[in-house]
Parts: sequence; C-alpha cells; structure tokens
Amino acid sequence: MRALFPIVRRIWAQEWWSLLRGAALSVVVLVAGIALLGLSGWFITAAGIAGLAGAGLMFDMFRPSAGVRFLALGRTAARYGERILTHDATLRSLARLRVQLLAGLARSPFSRLPALRASEQLNRITRDVDALDGIALRLFIPIVAAVTTLVATAAVLWFLVDRALVVWLIASYVPGAAAALGFVAWRSRRPSRRSRLALNAFRMRVVDLLQARTELAVFGKIGARAAHVMTAEERMRDSLGQIDRMERAGGFVLSVTETIATAGALLVGALLAERGVIDPALAALGFFATLALAETLAPLRRGMAEIGRMTDAARRVERMLQTPDAAPSNKASVPASAPASDAALSMDDVCFTHDGAAAPIVDHFFLTVAPGEAVALVGPSGSGKTTILQLATRMVAPDDGSIAIGGFPLENWNEPELRGAVTLLPQRSALLSGSIREALALARPGLEDRDAWAVLAAVALDTVIAERGGLDSRLGEAGAGLSGGESRRLALARALLRHPTLLLLDEPTEGLDRTTAKRVLEGMRRYLPDAAILLASHRAAEREFVDRIHTLSPVGGQRHGSD
Amino acid sequence: MNETEEERKARGAARLAAMLAPVRGKLALASFLSVLAALLWIAQAGIVAMLLGALIAGERALLGPWAESAAFLAIGVLRAGLSSVAGRLAFLASEDAIAHERAALLSAQSRRSPIATGRFSSAEIASLAADKLDLVAPYLTRYAPAMTRTRIVPLAILSVSFPFSWTAAFILLVAGPLIPVFMALVGLAARDASEKQMQEIGSMNALLMERIRALTDLRLLDATGRTVADFQASADSLRRQTMDVLRIAFLSSTVLELFSAIGVALIAVYVGFALIGELGFGAWATPLTVSEGIFLLLLAPDFFQPLRDLAAAWHDKAAALAVAGEIADLEAEAKIDIVGEGMDGTPLPGPATLRVAALRWTTPSGREIPFPDFEAEAGATVALTGPSGSGKTTLLALLAGLAPAAGGTITVAGESLDDATADAWRARLSWIGQTPHFFTESLRANLLMSATTRDDERLHDALAQASADGIVSALPRGLDTRLGETGHGVSGGEARRLTVARALNSHADIVLADEPTADLDAETAAAVTEGLLALAARGATLIVATHDMALARRMDRIVSLETPQ
Repeated sequence: MRALFPIVRRIWAQEWWSLLRGAALSVVVLVAGIALLGLSGWFITAAGIAGLAGAGLMFDMFRPSAGVRFLALGRTAARYGERILTHDATLRSLARLRVQLLAGLARSPFSRLPALRASEQLNRITRDVDALDGIALRLFIPIVAAVTTLVATAAVLWFLVDRALVVWLIASYVPGAAAALGFVAWRSRRPSRRSRLALNAFRMRVVDLLQARTELAVFGKIGARAAHVMTAEERMRDSLGQIDRMERAGGFVLSVTETIATAGALLVGALLAERGVIDPALAALGFFATLALAETLAPLRRGMAEIGRMTDAARRVERMLQTPDAAPSNKASVPASAPASDAALSMDDVCFTHDGAAAPIVDHFFLTVAPGEAVALVGPSGSGKTTILQLATRMVAPDDGSIAIGGFPLENWNEPELRGAVTLLPQRSALLSGSIREALALARPGLEDRDAWAVLAAVALDTVIAERGGLDSRLGEAGAGLSGGESRRLALARALLRHPTLLLLDEPTEGLDRTTAKRVLEGMRRYLPDAAILLASHRAAEREFVDRIHTLSPVGGQRHGSD
Repeated sequence: MNETEEERKARGAARLAAMLAPVRGKLALASFLSVLAALLWIAQAGIVAMLLGALIAGERALLGPWAESAAFLAIGVLRAGLSSVAGRLAFLASEDAIAHERAALLSAQSRRSPIATGRFSSAEIASLAADKLDLVAPYLTRYAPAMTRTRIVPLAILSVSFPFSWTAAFILLVAGPLIPVFMALVGLAARDASEKQMQEIGSMNALLMERIRALTDLRLLDATGRTVADFQASADSLRRQTMDVLRIAFLSSTVLELFSAIGVALIAVYVGFALIGELGFGAWATPLTVSEGIFLLLLAPDFFQPLRDLAAAWHDKAAALAVAGEIADLEAEAKIDIVGEGMDGTPLPGPATLRVAALRWTTPSGREIPFPDFEAEAGATVALTGPSGSGKTTLLALLAGLAPAAGGTITVAGESLDDATADAWRARLSWIGQTPHFFTESLRANLLMSATTRDDERLHDALAQASADGIVSALPRGLDTRLGETGHGVSGGEARRLTVARALNSHADIVLADEPTADLDAETAAAVTEGLLALAARGATLIVATHDMALARRMDRIVSLETPQ
C-alpha cells in the first residue's frame, strides 16, 4: 500500500482543492445519512413516547419532520456534487499522468525505445493508468471521509447520548475496518501481480498459438501448445481466485464489524435506558446512527477489491515517471571555433557490440562523407548497416573510435542542434493520426502550404495527396489510409523538411517500384542539393543513385574503410 | 439494417444464455443464498423493534437486552457468512463458465486452417479470449444475484410491512416502481453516454499508444516537446467530453437515490405522525405501535437496496451481451479446419512419395483453382512455379493437409491424405514458410520445435549448413536469446535461414518450402538455396514453391501452375 503514496502525492499536488471539496462533500453525504436515520429513529421513538403519554399535541413534530426531509434532499444534492468534483479531479490527474508518462518515456535512452514498440507493453502502460482511477475515488477520499465522519458522529453522540456508546463505536469500527483493509492490502498485492503476469502470458500465448497454426499443425504441436496456453490461464484463474478469497474475507470482516458495532450499540443503549441514564429515544438515536455509520464502509469495499491491482500498477507507473533525462540539452552548443575538418560525417576506427552479443556488429569501421556527397552502405542483412546509421546520429554510442559531424565530435553536440543538423529516416517509421499538414508540421512547426507541396513533389507524393483531398485530408491511427510505399514517402518528406546537413536513410525506397524509387531519389537530391546523404541500401535503384558505394561484409570479417 | 441489428442482439442474448447453461445450478444457489441473506435483515429488524419498543413502554424485553442483542449479532454474522458464501459461489460459477468458453474458443480456433483467413485477426481473438470474456464475470457475480434479489426482496418487505400499515406499504409501492421508470428515462441518456465514455477513454489510450510507438521518430525530428503539448491538449478535451457524459450518468443515480431517500423519509414522517395520533389512518383497526413503527423504518432502506444494487450493475449486462455477441459472430463465421488433429503422431511408414491427381481448391471469393497432376518419388526435388495468385502457397498447404481440398486426391507415402493419415504424414514433414513464426521463447526452443532429440552438436551443424551460425552468434545470448514480440527480433532473411536450419536439424524426409528466397538480397538468397540443397543431399524429398527461376532451375523438375483466369 505504501507504493500508492507517491501517486497520491502527485494527484494531491495538482488537484488538492477539488479533492478537498470532494472529500468535504462526501463527509456531508455520510453525516447527512447518519443524521437522517438517527433523527428518524429518534423522531419515531420520541413520538411514540409522547403518544403513549398522551402528550402528542405538545410534541413539536414539524421541526424533526422538516429536518428529515431536508436531510434526504441535501444528502442527494451533496452526493451529486461530490461525484462530479472527485471524478473531474481524477480524470484530470489521470490525463496528467498520461502526459507525464509520455514525457518521461520521451526522455528515455534511444536503445530502450524499440522495446517499447511492442503493443503488449504499451497496453500495460495504458492499463496501469486505468487501474489508478480508484486510488482517490475509492480509497483515499472514502478513508478520509470515513474517519472524519466517525469523529464527528462520535463527538455528537458523546454530547447527545453517552460516552459509553462512543467508546464502543470507536473500539468496534476502527480495529475492524483497519484489520480488513490492512489484511487485503497486505495479502492481495502478490496475487494481483501474478494474475497480471499470467494474463499477459496468456494473451501472448494465444496470439502465438493462432499465428503459428501452420508450424504447429505441421509439427503436430497444436494440442501441446493449446495446453501450454491453458496453463497460463489456470495460473491466472488461480491468482484471481486467491484475490477473490482475500476480498471476501475482508468483506466478511467488514460486515461482521458492522454487526458487532450495531449489536453493541443496541445493547449499550438498552442497558443505559433501563438504568434510566438516557431516554429510550436517545438509545434509538444511538442505534440508528451506528447502523448508518456502516454506510461509510461501503465505498471501501470496492476500493479494497482493487487495492492489489492499484498497488501493482502504481509501482510501475511511478518507476516510469522517474525516468532520468537521457538527452540533457544543457550542454554548451558547438564551439564557434573552426571545425577540425570539412567532412559532413567522419567515422574513425569505430567499434560497436550489441549488449551481450559475442561478436561486434561494427568492427574498426572508417567512413567519411563530404557535403553534397551521397554514399550507399551495401552488405548482407546483419552486416551492421543500420547500426552505423544509428551511431552517426547518436542513437547508440560507439564502444571505441570517434565520430564527428561537420568536423565537431559527436559527443560535443547538444541535443536540439544535433537533431537540427542530422536527420535519420529509420527502417520503419511511425506516422500519427491527423492531417497530412500536421504530419509534415511535426518536422517543421508553422509550415507554409507552399513548402508542404514542394516537399511532397520532391518525394513524388503531390498527386497522391491532391487526389486524397489535399493537405487537410486525414490519416487514421498510425497513418492508416496510405499504402506502404506512400507512408514511406511521407516519412521521407518529413525528414527532408528538417533541411539537415547530414541525411541518414535506412532503406529509403523499400516498397517502391523501380521508376518511383528513381523519381524519389532524384527529387530528394534536388530538394537538398548540399546535404551529405548516407543510405543503407539493398536496391539497385539506390546503388545507381549514389556517388560512392561502401561495401560491408558479414559480421566477423568487416572490411576496413576502403572504397 | 435495423432488423439484422435486432437479430444480432438476439443471437448475443442466446449465446449468453448458452454460456450460463453449465453453471446455472451453481448460480441459482448463489442467488438463493444472497436472497436469504437479504431476508435475514427482516428478523434482525424485528429484534431491534421489539427491544426498543419494550424500552419505551418501560417493559422488560422478551428475552432481555443481552439475549436479544446476542441474537441480533448471531443473525448478523450468519447474514455476513451467507453473503460471503453466495459471492464466492457466484465467483466460482463465473470462473467455470469463462474457463469453459476459453478452452472451447481456443480448441476451435487453433484448428482453423491457416490458409482460410477469417474476419477476426489473431490479436482480436486473443483480446476476446483474454480480456473481453472477463467482462462476463460481473454480469454473473453482480447483476444476476442483484436481479434475483430485486425480484424477491422488495416484495417480501412489502408483504411484511402491509399487515402493520397499508400506508407504509403504499409509500413503498409507489416510490419503488417509480425508480425503474425514472431510471429508464435518465438511463436512456446515461447508457448512451457511458458507451461514449468508454470510447473516449479508449481513444485516449489509443492516442497515447500511437505517440509512444512513434517516439523514436519524434526524437529524431526533435518534436517530442510539441508532441507532448499536443497530446495534453487532446487529453484535456477528451476529459471535458467525458465529464459531460458522466454528469448525465450521475444524474440518473442521483434520481435513484433521491427516490429511495424520499421513500425512507416519508415512512419516518408518516410513522412519527401516526404514533403521535395526528394521523388516524393508514394502520388497521389498532393504532400503530412504536415497535411496529421502528420495524417499518428499519425495513424501508432495504426495500430500495436491491434496486440500487441492480442499478449499479446495470451496465454489466450490456457489456456481457456485447461479448457474447462477438463470440456468436466469431462462431457464425464459415470455418475450414485443417485435415487431422494437428497432434503428434507416429510417422507414416513407406517411402517419402507424393502424388497429386485432379486436385482443386476454391478460394474464399469462390474462384476455382485446378492444379496440375504431378508426382514426386522419394528424394526428388520439385519446383512449383507460376505467377502470383496461381495457388503455389495453397498447393503446398494442401500437401501438408493444412486444409481439405475441394476435389481430387493427394496420395502420400502410398496412402490417401485424410483425417486418419494427416497427423502421421505431417510427422515426416518440415515446413519453411515465407514469414516464419517464432514463439516468444528461446531460439533453441524454437529451433527444436520439430526435433525428436535434443542434440546441440547436430543443431550447430544444421545452423552452419544453413549459414545461420552468424545470426546466432550476433544475438545477445546466442541460442538462449528470447525471440518474439517482447524479445529480440530477427530480420526476414535471418528467419528464413533459421527455419532452413530447423528443417536440417529435424529428421524430416519431406520438406515443403514456400518462396524461400523472396525479398532477399542476392547473397542471403544464395545461402538459403544452398541450405535447401543440403536438405536434398541428405535424401529429403523437396517441394519448393517459388518464382525465383535461379532456385527453380536447381530442382530436378519444374511443375508450372497456370495463370489465373
């Protein structure tokens, strides 16, 4: 449960005013409920006493009955206000958490980003945020409201009835509720975690089972694999069963607590009335108020059921929010002094080995690209083409050797200036939903229509976009609506709009037919006549386009910088 | 259009009923116990009313305060126990029903022919099995018992109240049914609203996911700051819309609470006035006693409680119906299964021969594809060539028994390929697909999928022969690297070479390969070709579907498929 506090602090820091008012209103709701039942009980009993005594005409019944009606209406209104306030505050804070999560992830090192592409993980992030919606609504506000209400009720009953009743109230409600909550919080975190892991495993295995039907059928493994899927399902059900048992146990303790408290209040009231310490009507008031206090525990029941899931999610969200900044932009800009060389890119004796890999993927690599020059990296898959491009734009840092952009060592560049000078078109680039204009403006804010059309013409996409309905035509989620080749060209157009001095392209004409590929490459060159271009290539059209080809041999036998 | 929508709804409802059928007994017992627990309150209320009534009258309580309080406590504990047991039973029933559905869904879908693609993607089926089916649980554990309580408990309270005061019963009678009426009015707006709200929350997550997926690009374009700001703006506007929707939903539950509060308040006021003697009407011949008044007041909130429970669980039914409807849709789809069961089998005896005669296939769009007759003796290498759409991949799939043919015969190792022989035939096969699937497991486990023995030396030889040893050494943990969506990826060419190695490592003597060299650079294509020839050199019968003529020419024979009309 401690894991919840950082998230509560975050929510509180932003929304304390709404939450405070919401909590105040929920106290009003609870107090009004108690007062309603207590007053009704007292009213009936007192009226009965007066009726028996034949003093009915002297009994003031209009004020109590007006009170009853006022409380009934006021309670309902307060409930509505409380719900609106707390839900609004929760939605605000969840939206903010999502934004912070995005900002935090944006700070994480490049090497971690590809791993985040997995939809499984993304789902988890969004699900985790969803799981947090009950923290304030169903846990902290109800606890605060319940405690406040209990104190207020105790004070009033002390004054109106007797302190024995108050002692009993506190001695029964507080330990019972605390024990139930504490037990469930303590015991349900691990099964919650296990059930989440099992659910993820189950989902993944189902996808595996269905997507690999060919292989599984051929290898006679459908039955074995289906059984493998169901073991994850059994694990999940097992954990869910455990959580349910905890919850039921907690719920049972709460119900028994309510019963003990009310039975005790009944007994204490009856004994006090018998001895003539209090009026029987006050004994009724005490009993009814205690009965109504049970209402304070009702929201906690739902919160309790979610506590394990919330704790588990809170941990992970908090960890993600604390991602340190991997791309500090506080570095000094590139010094104004003369550059060491006039090459757009120079890589000197660069080595790089993937984490945990036995052999280096880039091994003593040399390359120089001059401004205005276009060079193709050619080699079989796995020869390190993509890694070289990533090294050149500081997505990964070399283990050894030096890299310079525009004559300045790569490590001296600050982040915004480096991104201004170097642009990489990755092998698979992602588009966002929105208009074509927005897609392009991502690369250059405040983009003019004229410039947009110019760059679309450069990548031979102007007619396609015009036919689709121009710059305001919309793309679906992840750029849906464009063909593979069209998305590729739109991503290239976005890269060109950055006007980099060094343009790195990873298989830029993938998915384009030969004629279009040629048009795109020539259009790109005309659009950026002075830029140095380095492309990872396996297509003839690309090889014909470049000024120079640099051949890489497969891993282990890297050819050194000969051209 | 409207009618088909109606039909779909009816199908969903029928499917939901079928889902419940196996656990109906357990569920009925759970509902019965929850009703019993709710009714026990009447007894508790009676005890309280007697005790307080006696106090007021100045009489000694029937059993004395100690015994009566103890009875109240004992019944209360019993009530809590019954509710717990009822809840647990309902939970177990729902778990049973859902597990049953999951197993049935998977067993049906895993035998679906891989070449007959349906409307549902694997991810959609996975989300149906993993996430959506769980939405049925609240319907069973909350809605169903609340429904039973709503049917019984208010009526029981009404009939207990009626003998004491017809006015009190009348107040309940009027305020109770008015709740559903108002609920229906406001609920119409609210249901619509809550559906919209779900969509809003869904699209907020979709927006977030899309941006996280694009983070690498955004970083490279130096656009993360702006993207975060944009996301904030859209998240904010979504939140405002959601709140508009929630306001309506809260209004409906406020109306509900208002009615129950007014109902209780009216009872209290009526009883108070009646006791004082202001109101002579409402009770029967004898005036209302204090005990009776307290009894009526204690019962009033519980008259409304089942209705409130039902209202809180109202959307559970809609959610469960939607899920059941989706399952019905999935099951209503025309489904072609693989031949045989897809289980392990003892390999079919006899030489590794294949003969195809008058074979036909009908595509889902209804196009008929006739295949040429051909024969492959043991150890032969055959290339199936033809333009795309001529059915090369389909023919390979039919040869592996991955779908039943529309006509004609396939004879394998001297026997006809059918449900009885398919598993045994496939025990001799290996398959090299165009886009091989790797399981989210270690590379070793993936490579050994079809192996009968686990022999690292043999595996290393196979990897070397398929020129895939370099791929393994470049992976962070070699053969122990986890592949798949959450693990490391391999490129298309690498995957192809790894499956060649898998075939080499297995003891298969028939290998079917589908476009093994498509989209590969020349060097990788050559490596894959050499790997395939190594398989043939080992004596395996090799059937390769390809449009790569360099590869086709290295086979013994070329069977060319016709151009589609």
